[in-house]
Amino acid sequence: MPRSRILGPVGVAWFGLTLAAIIYATRMALVVAPTDALQGNVFRIIFYHVPHSMLSLVWPYVNLAASLGFLYWQRRDPLKALAADALAISAAEVTVVYGSICLLTGMLWGKVEWGIWWTWDYRLTSMLVLWLLYVAYLMLRKLSSTGQTQTLAAVLSVFAGIDVPIVYMSIRWWRTQHPSPIFFSGDPESKMDPSMMPAFLWNLSAWAAWGVFLLTMRYLLERRRQDNEQDAALKAIEDSLELTR
Amino acid sequence: MTYLGHVWSHLRKDLHLEWRSRDSINGMLFFSLLVVVVFSLAFDPTAAMSREIAGGILWVALLFAATTALNQSWTRELRNRVLEAQRMAPSPPSALFLGKALANFLFVALVEAVLAPLFVVFYDLHALGQGWLLWVVMPLGTWALVCNGTFFAALGLRTRNREMLLPLILFPISIPALLGMIQATTAILSGEFEPGLWIRLLIAYNLAFTTACLLLFETALNAE
Amino acid sequence: MKLSWMFGPSLEQRHLLYVYVAVWVIQGGYAAWLAWQWRQASKAAQVDETMPSVRREDY
Repeated sequence: MPRSRILGPVGVAWFGLTLAAIIYATRMALVVAPTDALQGNVFRIIFYHVPHSMLSLVWPYVNLAASLGFLYWQRRDPLKALAADALAISAAEVTVVYGSICLLTGMLWGKVEWGIWWTWDYRLTSMLVLWLLYVAYLMLRKLSSTGQTQTLAAVLSVFAGIDVPIVYMSIRWWRTQHPSPIFFSGDPESKMDPSMMPAFLWNLSAWAAWGVFLLTMRYLLERRRQDNEQDAALKAIEDSLELTR
Repeated sequence: MTYLGHVWSHLRKDLHLEWRSRDSINGMLFFSLLVVVVFSLAFDPTAAMSREIAGGILWVALLFAATTALNQSWTRELRNRVLEAQRMAPSPPSALFLGKALANFLFVALVEAVLAPLFVVFYDLHALGQGWLLWVVMPLGTWALVCNGTFFAALGLRTRNREMLLPLILFPISIPALLGMIQATTAILSGEFEPGLWIRLLIAYNLAFTTACLLLFETALNAE
Repeated sequence: MKLSWMFGPSLEQRHLLYVYVAVWVIQGGYAAWLAWQWRQASKAAQVDETMPSVRREDY
């Protein structure tokens, strides 16, 4: 695989700018944004929590698109299929990272805000199921025998993609039929004062850029691993040819 | 031979094989019974409370029982390299899947038929809502578990740690269906709310995933 | 230091701190793992290139 000469400098620049953006956004979240009238300083958690939650709903679709691409190209263009598969696993791992952060920070905030670590409301439960699905995806990739891994994982990804909206709707119906004893007053974003928007938007953009960086790096890592495997396989074939002479 | 003819052959094959040893069915029956007894000891509910929780306990017991049998249903295809023969056979692969899923459905339904009276006995149940709807909910719920379960058991066929992988994948994907079947059963037993929404959810879930399983089975079978 | 209000024994302060630290730890940890895996993959690639396969001329 030819090594692109612009990729290196662009990658380093992206990394540097993203890191700077994260630091700036964090500073905005902690220092610049005004203290909330109702919650005091603890609301600053949302500047990290909400961007991660929103982004963790984006990466699964990248995984789904890549898996569908893999299934489409599998017989038609194996090289493109390999690239699609590399993107699929990258997106799955980034989903698990962002989803874990969403759940963890959400629980820490919930304990302060509502006095409980967890409740089965529709958003939390849907996020938990999403997280479980993608951890199962990663486990399938790890445990299946090579040669089959990519296809099986792509199939699972399609199932997960069908399931996620169904999960969301079903749990939403469940939780509006039986309203939970703790009342959740809608989206946290609806409470956001315009003066907090800059901090929020900076955090959203910075963590999105970071996510793209992680996705790209993981993709390149996977491509490199695929290359190594191909080289090793080629070498094994060559060596076996030498032995017969 | 028509498509349904193929499905019927596969179904008959699985029923025959199972009938010879009756391993799966006996295992499932005894396992479900144990789960029911353990839950009964753990919760020891009053009559009113038992109507709230019996639905959940029944479906959890069936879920665990079905999981133990689903892996086994595919291992008999691995012996004597039968799976390779299946791949080379001219019958459509989805017919193999459908035949096996129907066979598993019949086995789990048999277990339910034995389990349901036991439930009535242990939990002193009688339905306060429309009891006849249970005849709708039970098959729908069972098919939801068995269809996806058969598919994922096939996915995990050549993985290491096959027994662990099936629950890991099946349980998250089945959560909407589990919610539907448990809520519908609880609604019928307790009569406190309408099961209609949950039955519609089960129907939609079954349609979506049965289609997905039939379409994707060939890909999964030939995943080499 | 302007951020001294963040550090304190109350639940709000502790959880706020945990959140910010946890995010950096998890993201940083994943990035570090990626970097380590990248090094492993590069080393593997180098080994393949430098190790010569048996050539016919050597016989």
